[in-house]
Amino acid sequence: MSGLLGGIVFGLVGGVAIALSTMVGVYGERKIAAKIQRRFGPQETGPYGLLQLPADTLKMILKEDITPRQADARIFKIAPYFVFVPIAMGLVVIPVAAGWAALDSSIGILFFLAVPSLSVLGILIAGWSSGNTYATIGGMRGAAQMISYELPRTLSVLAVVILAGSLRPVDVVQAWRWWWIPLNFIGIVVYYISSIAELNRGPFDIPESESELVAGYFADYAGIRWGIFMMSEYGGMLAASLFGAAIFLGTLTWLPGPFGIITFLLGTGVIGSSMIWVKWTFPRMRPDQLMTTAWKVLTPLALVQLVIVGVVVPWL
Amino acid sequence: MNDTIVQIMWWVLAAGALAGAVTVVFSRDVLRMALGLGGFLVALAGFYMYYALPFLATVQVFVYVGGVLVLILFGIMLVHRSEGDARPGLSSRHDPGSAAVAVGILALVTSMLWPLRDVMTERPASAGTKAIADLLLGDLLPHFEAAGALLLIALVAVIVIAGGDDR
Repeated sequence: MSGLLGGIVFGLVGGVAIALSTMVGVYGERKIAAKIQRRFGPQETGPYGLLQLPADTLKMILKEDITPRQADARIFKIAPYFVFVPIAMGLVVIPVAAGWAALDSSIGILFFLAVPSLSVLGILIAGWSSGNTYATIGGMRGAAQMISYELPRTLSVLAVVILAGSLRPVDVVQAWRWWWIPLNFIGIVVYYISSIAELNRGPFDIPESESELVAGYFADYAGIRWGIFMMSEYGGMLAASLFGAAIFLGTLTWLPGPFGIITFLLGTGVIGSSMIWVKWTFPRMRPDQLMTTAWKVLTPLALVQLVIVGVVVPWL
Repeated sequence: MNDTIVQIMWWVLAAGALAGAVTVVFSRDVLRMALGLGGFLVALAGFYMYYALPFLATVQVFVYVGGVLVLILFGIMLVHRSEGDARPGLSSRHDPGSAAVAVGILALVTSMLWPLRDVMTERPASAGTKAIADLLLGDLLPHFEAAGALLLIALVAVIVIAGGDDR
């Protein structure tokens, strides 16, 4: 019974965390984008435009939930959940304090890599069921991209797993040493780039490129279902940043005991903000450049990282 | 109380797997059939979890749902046009043959599994990743390497065959 209760509590906490990170993320994104483009961003609603996001959220919830006539209505309506649920599930295995994770699984790292990747399915069927060419092309592009970037991402995490000798995230955090950052530098870069690509965010946003595909696979969604896609994107950013800060940078161990959470959240914030910075700085890639980057640059780099770690580990 | 919930979970999983399988057989829309297959595969992963095999469950999700099913969906989308080509009516002249094959496979699987029915009602202890790794990189290393090399050869062969025209 306590397991079930704990599950419900963690589910609620996780859902609230994703919703909050979406609001903070969208506000931060608009403000940072505005700074980069020498604008002001939201500033009319509330001080510094802080109330813009609660207002937008309310508007989104109240908006009409439109299903296009040519859509396959039932699949169209459940597709957003297929995107959101796997990404939310990925959060449970991330350690949020040294030695503690909501689901302390012996295969947590594999779980984190495997389960969120199921959102590919949701993106494919969202694009297909819209019955709209732009959406279908967006869905196919998204799926091709996410499958391609899964490989370098998994390989880059594997280097850390070899160093720690465990697939349990809590063990990795405990085993973490500061010299892992220089030793693992290539792996960190590969993880960072392929995480952005996994989330379909700029400069890898060709599945939802607004100038050619309107919004790609979620072009036909309105109201709260559109909001679920947005929450998936920012939830995925949150998960990737938390995981990177905990596993690659070991920020949970920078301060002693429970204070590790301070550096952990700071590190997560830095990684998340830098993703926004990257999005608004680099131009969108062409599809062929995208595939070249995944298969001919990042995958070999991740393999080189694996070799480096493999050579070093026997001398530890 | 916990046992009841676990039992209910088992029935939910069984119902999910059955619903997925029925969708695959009876749906007239190819995409729904693929989604039914996905539901079945996820339910199977749930069964692995139920039998305390989390590694197998995660790999099942990773390989079958995240890999094979996405490949099937890709195939459907690239080959298929969206309107007006739902599968024709369920009855076809192949029906008796298909039914015979289905009954035969059911009989075969049942006859093989029937002697194991006592063993299967017990939950096996989880083998854990350490045990699997010891096995794969210890006694079974030659088999593991051979399977890997074979898959690599097959992969290269597929690329050569599929891209053979432009040379």
